[in-house]
Amino acid sequence: MAGFQIRSIFLQLLQRDIRGRFIGSATGWIWLIVTPLLLLAVYAFVFGVIFRARVPEGFELPFWAWLAVALWPWLAFSEGLQRAAGSIQQHAALISKVAIPRHLLVSSSVCAVFILHAIGFVVVLLVIQGMAADIHWLAVPYALLLLAMLYGFALGLGFLLASVQVFVRDLEQLLPTALMFWFFLTPIIYPPQLLPEAARNLLVLNPMTWWVEELRAALFSGQALPDLGILLMLLIVGISLVLGRGVFNRMSPHFEDFL
Amino acid sequence: MSRPLLSLRAVEKIYPATVHPGERFRAFCQLLARGRSRGGTTVISDVSFDIQAGQSMGIIGGNGAGKSTLLKVITGVLAPTAGQIQQSGSVAALLELGAGFDPDYTGLDNLKLNAAFLGLSPADVERKLDDILAFADIGESIHEPVKHYSSGMVVRLGFAVVASVRPDLLITDEVLAVGDESFQKKCIRWIEGYLEAGGTLLMVSHNMYQVQKLCRHALWLHDGRARAQGDVFDVTQAYLAWHERHDAADATRHQGHASAELYGVTELILGDESEGEERVAMGEALDVTLRLRSPDGRSPVALIGVVRADGTPVYGVASDHDGALVQPRQDGSFEVRLRFPNLSLLPGGYAIRGHAMDPEGLRVHDTAEAEFTVVGRSRELGLVRLEHEWLE
Repeated sequence: MAGFQIRSIFLQLLQRDIRGRFIGSATGWIWLIVTPLLLLAVYAFVFGVIFRARVPEGFELPFWAWLAVALWPWLAFSEGLQRAAGSIQQHAALISKVAIPRHLLVSSSVCAVFILHAIGFVVVLLVIQGMAADIHWLAVPYALLLLAMLYGFALGLGFLLASVQVFVRDLEQLLPTALMFWFFLTPIIYPPQLLPEAARNLLVLNPMTWWVEELRAALFSGQALPDLGILLMLLIVGISLVLGRGVFNRMSPHFEDFL
Repeated sequence: MSRPLLSLRAVEKIYPATVHPGERFRAFCQLLARGRSRGGTTVISDVSFDIQAGQSMGIIGGNGAGKSTLLKVITGVLAPTAGQIQQSGSVAALLELGAGFDPDYTGLDNLKLNAAFLGLSPADVERKLDDILAFADIGESIHEPVKHYSSGMVVRLGFAVVASVRPDLLITDEVLAVGDESFQKKCIRWIEGYLEAGGTLLMVSHNMYQVQKLCRHALWLHDGRARAQGDVFDVTQAYLAWHERHDAADATRHQGHASAELYGVTELILGDESEGEERVAMGEALDVTLRLRSPDGRSPVALIGVVRADGTPVYGVASDHDGALVQPRQDGSFEVRLRFPNLSLLPGGYAIRGHAMDPEGLRVHDTAEAEFTVVGRSRELGLVRLEHEWLE
């Protein structure tokens, strides 16, 4: 199949994934903006008013803003993984009747999630800029690079999860819990300094920690250029893509037998 | 000879066992490690054929014979367990009613998505949109969600999209039967035009008339194997004959033979005495030899009848009707020979029944049956060709 055909199928699937979220809701696209604002208000209330959480040393901003910068990428990542894992099953009717490149189903669903959350992220950043703290806009290109790499990481893992879930349905039950565990293992709603020394050193083993810290450093401290740590991140992205796509390509011809 | 459009070599498909979670997990590990899993149900085995450009083929066979699975394997929806499939040229398939349609989206959205699946760019779709809508002819419903469509409207839209692509090879499962009379005719007309323009069709159908009309070759699948393949008339007739016999098998099987004290049939031979089922071309001669025995030395009356394979009587004649003589033979039996010159039976499965009657021609004492097939290229309907002429 030629490249332009793959692209037009991908765009159609992507468009359909995104529109699928709004079909039937009265105001449609408004929710793209309203949902992140509401979510942000909830977090600001919970952590600013109830818990009175403090940001770690070196940041001059309210906790909710510090949280939000890490939370949106995480939401994109975890929702992307869940969507990807279910994407083959979700399109079972299509797969069993039409011969299309199956990897497009996974990549379009991950891509749709990232696009929606990216829009939310922009809204959130504008609110932070207006109400809480200065965003270092010069570092935005680096932040975008980080997000693009996060997309690659999610895509690779998504391919792997999608292949497994076709065969082993238990994953569907396990994945949300596993992701919640991963969420709490990543310093998103708490500063790493809160942890005891030993646990803090272990945090480094979690790749998501790297992304979260780098994003905060870029947007709040103005770190506009990557340091050597990015090589490690690129490596993990590469491994996840090669491994995920490898398993997916090997298993995808047999999907229909097990759906 | 040029490279075939589609070529299958020893294709086999085994559906793996997927009932227990343990089996699924084991299959996952086996596929990951070795690329194939063990066990399962064989649906297709050892199917090979070539389709040259312009040579359409029909796939026929009973329910569960593996026809739809074979189409899925050919289109790439399913991976074959063994064997090779080679394709050259573009392929479009209409495998199932509403294949690839999402019920929540409007007809127009689904049209665009399906067109993309078939390789049309958005610009192509824009250009062809009016043609597609005109062909589908479902009016303003195109802006309604597909879940509100009737099955006929779904198939109209699906076929209209495929028709706009004009692939080198068009693959259809039994889907056209859903459309109403006028849409079916429109589709058939379109397919005929497509075939005349050099297109190639691979279709599954239970409508033998349609298969004969649209295809030059046919493949008869039976329990996942190719039972016959070749010229469309030979294969479809063999298939129909098999069905008629299958239906009639129980009815005739329990007719016992009379004991030796009565008039009986010793032998019933069609044509020359060669082995195997007799095949006669329509319009040629069929010879029947019936040998009878008699308990008292008097010559019995021979009754010879033709029935269709399902047991429907076509014609019967007894030796005493025509005053023919049943000749005694040296070994004490009797023999009668009958010829049907210029056999006017239409192609299909038939049987000759030979009966032994008492010399008075009052009672049938014994019956023997021998099957034969009439072959020929004819689309006439019914059992026999009646003399006819078209008047100016």
